[in-house]
Amino acid sequence: MNLLNRLKYINISTRISILLALIIVLTMGIFSTLSLLKQEDDSINIITNNSNQLCATIEKILRFSMLENRRDEITKALKDIVGKDGIRTVRILNHEGLIKYSSKQSDINQQISQSNPRCTGCHVNKDNMLVSSTKNFVNYRIDKQKNLVYNFLPIYNAHSCYTSACHSSGEMSSSINLKPTNGLQTFHYHDSSQTVLGFIEIEVSTEKIASNLGHTRSQLILITIIIALLASILTYFSIRTLVGKPVKNLVEGTRRVAKGNLKQEIPPGKAELGELSHSFNLMQKQLLTTQSQLIESEKLASIGKLADEIAYEISNPLTGIIVFSENLSKDSGEDKIKDYKVIHTEALRIREIVRNILTITKRELPEFKDTNVNEVINHSISIVNKLSNFQNIQIVNRLQKSVPNISADSGLLDQVFLNLLLISSESMSNGGIINISTNYFKDNGEIDIIFSDTGKGMSEQILQKLSAPNNTSGLGSTERTGISLAVCKNIIEMHKGSLSIESKPGSGTSILIKLLVNS
Amino acid sequence: MQRQIKILAIDSKEIILKSIRKALNSDEKTEYIITTSGTSIEGLKLIRNDIYDLVLLDLAMPGINGIEVLKRIKKFNYDIPIVMLSGYSSKSSYSDVISNGAENLLLKPFTTAELKSVVSNIFKADKSTG
Repeated sequence: MNLLNRLKYINISTRISILLALIIVLTMGIFSTLSLLKQEDDSINIITNNSNQLCATIEKILRFSMLENRRDEITKALKDIVGKDGIRTVRILNHEGLIKYSSKQSDINQQISQSNPRCTGCHVNKDNMLVSSTKNFVNYRIDKQKNLVYNFLPIYNAHSCYTSACHSSGEMSSSINLKPTNGLQTFHYHDSSQTVLGFIEIEVSTEKIASNLGHTRSQLILITIIIALLASILTYFSIRTLVGKPVKNLVEGTRRVAKGNLKQEIPPGKAELGELSHSFNLMQKQLLTTQSQLIESEKLASIGKLADEIAYEISNPLTGIIVFSENLSKDSGEDKIKDYKVIHTEALRIREIVRNILTITKRELPEFKDTNVNEVINHSISIVNKLSNFQNIQIVNRLQKSVPNISADSGLLDQVFLNLLLISSESMSNGGIINISTNYFKDNGEIDIIFSDTGKGMSEQILQKLSAPNNTSGLGSTERTGISLAVCKNIIEMHKGSLSIESKPGSGTSILIKLLVNS
Repeated sequence: MQRQIKILAIDSKEIILKSIRKALNSDEKTEYIITTSGTSIEGLKLIRNDIYDLVLLDLAMPGINGIEVLKRIKKFNYDIPIVMLSGYSSKSSYSDVISNGAENLLLKPFTTAELKSVVSNIFKADKSTG
């Protein structure tokens, strides 16, 4: 699987070069093979033609000797002929297939069979030796394995042959077929009825040709390999420069854009790829412009949204302040004090809203100092206890005394705890209990702070919206706790901690804050 | 004779309900009997169980939203006058609430005078028709 994956990533240059090399090898291979085959054929044709002519020449030369029946002369001549131009053996056979003369001593008096191809050219059936009407007479035979070409020529009967006095040389062999003619006691070797007296055969070696061809073949292979290598190397580098590198730049460019870097241009190129690079750079510029425009309009949109949020959030407590200050109780002190408390609570609520807004919009850098979370929590509690909302709310705190100090911005943490307390109180308009606990876990250096209330809880929908990252827009028109909780979350995350909410409608809300005791 | 006006106020913010109670203090001319509710569901229950002369309803109610509550009350009792309360100053809100049957839209933050004015306008018209 790994190999397949690697194969996919072989680049263009390599692929084309390999393809080119293969094409060259293939074409040259085919061409060379055909060429060599033709050459071989041609060479053998030349040899067979030459040897055919040679046979005829030998026959002419030896005719006189044969007529004179000068056997030694014939044998010596045959031996002399051998060795020149690759002639291996010369033989003279009679029509019955008996080797009468040969340059090779061991051949003499050997008998060739009737099924021998020399015979079957004319004599179709080896049993009755009938001569075929269509003489399929091929006067040469090629033995590729032994690198030999056999060429044989029939010696046709002529007047001078059957009228010669064979014993005129003075020899008489018992094997001579004597036929008395004209009542004279002359001996004749050949009968006039014979058409073919015998055959001259030469064996020519084609070794020289074979070795030449072999040599040529090796050369061609070498040349093919060299050309293929050179061509593919040249192609590889050309394509790498013309295609590979520009494409690589383009790919890197697209990767950079994907990561968000729209400022780095890719180097220009030539021809079509140069066009592509140019277009790419233009596109990048356009994207950059569009991006800035989008950021601008988003800023405006979020400012608009923020304005809506602020108006909505402030309008409620402000109504309270206006109406209560317009209608301060004219009777006894206790009622009056209650009214003042309401005004104070709502004014404080507006203060928290303003602080939240400032936190979102200004994003001031927090100042981290040595802080004890228990102290901050107690401080927040002391503030809210004075508020009218909290008159029928019981705050139960279980703050672990051994909680160590952490590096934090106490003002921001105070904001968080105040917000959480106010949110809880709003969910319990008829009173309830707020439980606050702190715990330190030594093994992972974590402080867990839990705010849980017995209020009306939040729906799944609201929880999901609150858990969305970078939620600074609250929840729109339905819940103002949106901004408050979002800001709390942001502040905690600024402290490298986490804030999570668990809530069920009707059974209260629990908020878990995790902070790390870091160095 | 002292006129009695039974008002049902539905708003998720306790401070608004308190403010309504504070602002609509009874005088020699009118007695305000104010019932408040913090949720849409409770509010809809109350409207079925009793007769009210006026409903003050917040537009941005959690759960069943203000417009929906408005429609349902109107379905139940077409004649009852409803004044919507809203923290948004969107122009489209006004036409929205009126087209769904509300008498008026009161923007928050409101003053005592504004609230009283809106309430009495509803019953001024009533008085003239008898």
